[in-house]
This record gives sequence, C-alpha cells and structure tokens, in this order.
Amino acid sequence: MKPFKVIEVKESIFEDNNKQADLLRMQLKSDKTFLLNLMSSPGSGKTTTLVKTMHSLKDVLNIGVMEADIDSDVDARTISETGVKVIQLHTGGMCHLDADMTKQGLNELEHEGLDLVILENVGNLVCPAEFDTGACKSAAILSVPEGDDKPLKYPLMFSVIDVLLINKIDTLPYFDFNYEAVVERVKKINPKIEIIPISAKTGEGLDRWTNWLQTEVNNWKNQSS
Amino acid sequence: MHELGIVFEIIKIVDRFVAENDLSQVEKIVLEVGQLSSAVPKFLESCFPAAVNDTPYAHTKLEIIIIPAMAACNSCHEQFNLVEHRRVCPNCHSDQSTLLTGREFSIKEIVAC
Repeated sequence: MKPFKVIEVKESIFEDNNKQADLLRMQLKSDKTFLLNLMSSPGSGKTTTLVKTMHSLKDVLNIGVMEADIDSDVDARTISETGVKVIQLHTGGMCHLDADMTKQGLNELEHEGLDLVILENVGNLVCPAEFDTGACKSAAILSVPEGDDKPLKYPLMFSVIDVLLINKIDTLPYFDFNYEAVVERVKKINPKIEIIPISAKTGEGLDRWTNWLQTEVNNWKNQSS
Repeated sequence: MHELGIVFEIIKIVDRFVAENDLSQVEKIVLEVGQLSSAVPKFLESCFPAAVNDTPYAHTKLEIIIIPAMAACNSCHEQFNLVEHRRVCPNCHSDQSTLLTGREFSIKEIVAC
C-alpha cells in the first residue's frame, strides 16, 4: 500500500461554481440574453414586483422567468398568468441556486431569442448571496416591514447586488423604518449600488426600476455585438 | 440545509482533485473556514457523514481550521478581531475598518495516497 501524504489543495469551495458561472455569462453574452438574479427574503413582494415588471416590459422585450422554490409552483403559476415564458425550478431542499442549476434551468426554458430572463432565487438573504448563479446582474428586494437593520444583519447580500429595490414604500408612515439610514448603511458596504424605492402595489417608482432594467438589457446586447 | 449543499460542493472539488492527481484513497480533508464565512463548522461536521455515505469518502475524516475575523482599523491601524469587538476598534472606537482575514472558505489540503 502506498503511504498517505499531505497534498496541498488550496482551492476555494466556491471556485468550481465561480468557473461555471463565468462560462455561463460568456454563453449568455453570445446568446444576447440578459440574466437577472433576483433575491430577497420571503414575503418581500418579489412575485408581485415581477408581475408588475412583466406587465410593463412584455411588449418591448421577450422575457422568460425561472422561479426557484424548494418545493412548490405557487409563484410560477402567478407569473404565467402574465403571459411570459416561465418555468419552475425545484431546488430539492437546497436553500440556493448554483450556476449549474441555473444553466439547466435556462436550457429547459429554451432561452434562445429571449432578451431578458429573470431568475427568482430562493427567498433567503444568506445562501443565495454566496453562490454566483452566472447572472449578468443581481438585484435584491428589501421591504419596509422587514426593518431597516437588514443591511447590518446580512452585509454580504447587500455587497453582491447591483440594484436594491426598497419595496412597500407606501407603508413607510406605519413602520419605524429609517429610509436614509438604510441608504447610508448599504452605500457604506456597496458604494456603486443603485437604490430604488418602489411600491409594487401602487406602482410608485416602478418606472425607474423598469428603465434601469431596460438600459441594462440594451447595454448587454450592445456589448455582445 | 445550507451546509449540506456546501459539503456536496467540497466533494465535487475533491473528486476532481483525486482524478487529476491519480489518487486512490483519501484519509482526511482539511478545510479552512473563516469566522465570517456563512458556514457553521459544527453543521458542516454533522452533515458530512450523510453527504459522503455511499461515496468513496465514506471513511474520510473531516478537519476544520477556523480562521479568525481580523480587521485593521481605518483610523489608527490597530488590528483586532471583528467578532469579539463587535466591529468597533478597541483602541480608537472607530467603526470603519478593512477586513484582513475571516471570509476564507477553502480546502487547504487532503491527506491521501
């Protein structure tokens, strides 16, 4: 029997996933499809925000949605009523999606010809932040009733996203939510972030959000050509 | 369930490493886990046996080295443990610091033949 020896590996646990994610982004660039990774805690209004976003963009962009959920299709059904292409991804008990699962989802969605694919990640502010899905940009939704301390409690999530939607802004008078403090806390960990206050219910701020999204989709397409 | 997914990821990397280096048996996997990485060492250890069951690593041991969350104060450059001092510099009480270590999460080495 050969003797055991210590062999240095020195490889980040996320290395493999990061490589897969980079490959997926290259693929998306040549396919001219913009993939947005949308994250939040449960109950922040992710699905409602998506439905409203679909209504305002579905006539100008070809859109697909991938709904990740541990084990249900409640959200996928709601989204499919808007008429866009949607599939449900079951993570089988896992709390996040990785690049490989995202790629499988895109294949199943048949994303060729789609300008924009939105991945609704599992509702959780911890694990999805750790795994690069291969998306072109990442967004998170924080809703007013959740509290203004979330950037302090989950700094990683707020440091990996490109845009933060502060949802249910119409309820601001009823909660002890210090909007300025959130902006300051988030900018401290992520100076380049775009912060957009919205109300998916009343429609407030949604134009600014859909404009941001449309600009990003156009930029992505122009970069690829 | 977070740790279970991570353990699967670890096994995938070890699998590839074993194949690339033509190894036949892995006795131990040594991880470096930073205090600020989102994995809890105790949970990694407890889900490891379930993840390696029915794999070539069923008898492989897992060792975890914890890397402290150290930061340097942006004002007075004092180095301190972020978790112990709740992110505030013990010397000048500034809350602005730069992280030095503590986010690591890697496979340091394996003992194999």
